[in-house]
Amino acid sequence: MNALSADEMERFQKLSNNYQPEIQGPLVSTKQSSHSIALDYSNADPTLATKTNALAITHPECRIMKGDGNCGWRAVAFGYFETLFALRDTLRIETEIRRMKSLTTLLERVGLSDSIYEIFVDATEEVLNRTHAAIQNGAQDESFLVEAFNEGYCSDAIITHFRILTSAWMKLNPNRYQAFLPMPLDQYCSTRIDPVKTEIDEVGLQALIDGVIEGSGFGVEILYLDRSEGDVVTPHQLSSDRPSGATIRLLYRPGHYDILYPVEHNLNMAPIVNLQYGMTSDYSPWDQASLGFDVNSSLMAIPNLMQDTSFGMGAPMSPMPSVSPTPASPFRMSPQQDMYQSPMPTHAPIPPIPVSPPPQIAPSSAPPPMTSLPSRSSDGPQIRLNPLVMKPNLSRSLPVTTPFKNSPYNQAHFQNSDFEPIHWEPHERR
Amino acid sequence: MGSVKRISKELTELTESPPAGIRVELADESNVYEWKVHMEGPEGSPFHNGKFLIKLSLPTEYPFKPPTVSFATKIYHPNVTNDEKGSMCLGMLRADEWKPSSKIAAVLQFARQLLAEPMPDDAVEGRIAEQYKNDRVRYEEVAREWTRKYAC
Repeated sequence: MNALSADEMERFQKLSNNYQPEIQGPLVSTKQSSHSIALDYSNADPTLATKTNALAITHPECRIMKGDGNCGWRAVAFGYFETLFALRDTLRIETEIRRMKSLTTLLERVGLSDSIYEIFVDATEEVLNRTHAAIQNGAQDESFLVEAFNEGYCSDAIITHFRILTSAWMKLNPNRYQAFLPMPLDQYCSTRIDPVKTEIDEVGLQALIDGVIEGSGFGVEILYLDRSEGDVVTPHQLSSDRPSGATIRLLYRPGHYDILYPVEHNLNMAPIVNLQYGMTSDYSPWDQASLGFDVNSSLMAIPNLMQDTSFGMGAPMSPMPSVSPTPASPFRMSPQQDMYQSPMPTHAPIPPIPVSPPPQIAPSSAPPPMTSLPSRSSDGPQIRLNPLVMKPNLSRSLPVTTPFKNSPYNQAHFQNSDFEPIHWEPHERR
Repeated sequence: MGSVKRISKELTELTESPPAGIRVELADESNVYEWKVHMEGPEGSPFHNGKFLIKLSLPTEYPFKPPTVSFATKIYHPNVTNDEKGSMCLGMLRADEWKPSSKIAAVLQFARQLLAEPMPDDAVEGRIAEQYKNDRVRYEEVAREWTRKYAC
């Protein structure tokens, strides 16, 4: 029955020892909805389900790190660069480049030679320079950072840089950490911090923040997702609160770290804000032309008119021009106007349209009453403004209009491809 | 690429001030990833007076992955596979224990130290490890004989 010789057994043992499961996914993902995390736990322990659902509301976006042993290191490193970029302050980046270079004295003091550490420091500096350039060039988003962190060499080099800095910092401040370690500090560093792909633990994370991140002035907050009592994840501030308010937020699930983005961050950063601005900007010609929606009741009666993005973009319009009674209508000035063959003769007599607003103007649902907004004068455009979407930090851009709110381009609209219902049922499956 | 930069610097350092009993050169001048290492058997070990040729290969991901070390010269040792590969993979050379801040010089010194002090509990050749533990005299005899036969 002994089919396998000792040699073969040894070979299989070796294969088994060396086996590494293939982990899917990018090293650093693009921003995604935190609902995906809630979905992961929808059939799990109710505590986890409750907490992840609450998390998806307070922190609507997240960024998933690849679980290859470097996730904690990578999350902090990426969060550091991303936070720097989000501040859009080139002077601050110049300061950081100087600071990162000056930290090499730590490495020298623990006996690492320049020939060993320079390529790691170079990688960090290179990405800091790229961040500087991105701000100067007015980069829209942090996709250049996602790209850099998904490039194996760059990602490994920056993580190694942060690891060796942490290790040097700990060796130079042994009294601060030794009491928390299960082994001598030197052994801890050489087995838990320095080797590639060793998971960061609490002590290592604290040392990384103390030694590398703290000097940047950024705060770091960890939200612990576990089965402890409570309805929300447990936040833990790993550094004192910063006047700058810039904080890297990590989600910790036992053995894994990801990055989280709270609500404010989302509204400041998410492209949807730009879209709203862009769409409302396109309305401005109406303003100049003093087009009154009230006057144009036939226009408003066209179903789903406002759901068509091409409407505001100057794309061909169907029968509006012939219906419009006002020669000042901007639709008449549309460049596509000439290409359009009106189904009706333009000069045909049109029955007079009442100037006073008809009782039922709203496209689909009645908008909530206006509250804080100053009412527009009667000769201005009567765009209906929804106070519910007048978030304070949107006030500098134009408000979201009711038609936008009701359009499928709004993420909260059920027809939007990104629409996610907040409601969740334990037995529900996707 | 950073890895070439680092490898070149390490090669220069090792050529200018080689560790005791170790001499390195590139197997092919146009390829920094393949090295030939000439190692003298350490004094006090059955490999003394032997000259071992070791192939050191650096992965393109170096220094984020460890170099691989293999003995081109046949050697009787519990931690070196007794086959045409002659590979040695333990301690700092393991992928999961590798530190990007380790130098090639340290790898070679580690390998030479291993000739003097085998690690039978981490052996790849179980039979030689048994013998090393239970019959040291016979182990040293065979190792010396192999050194004479293949490494002189």
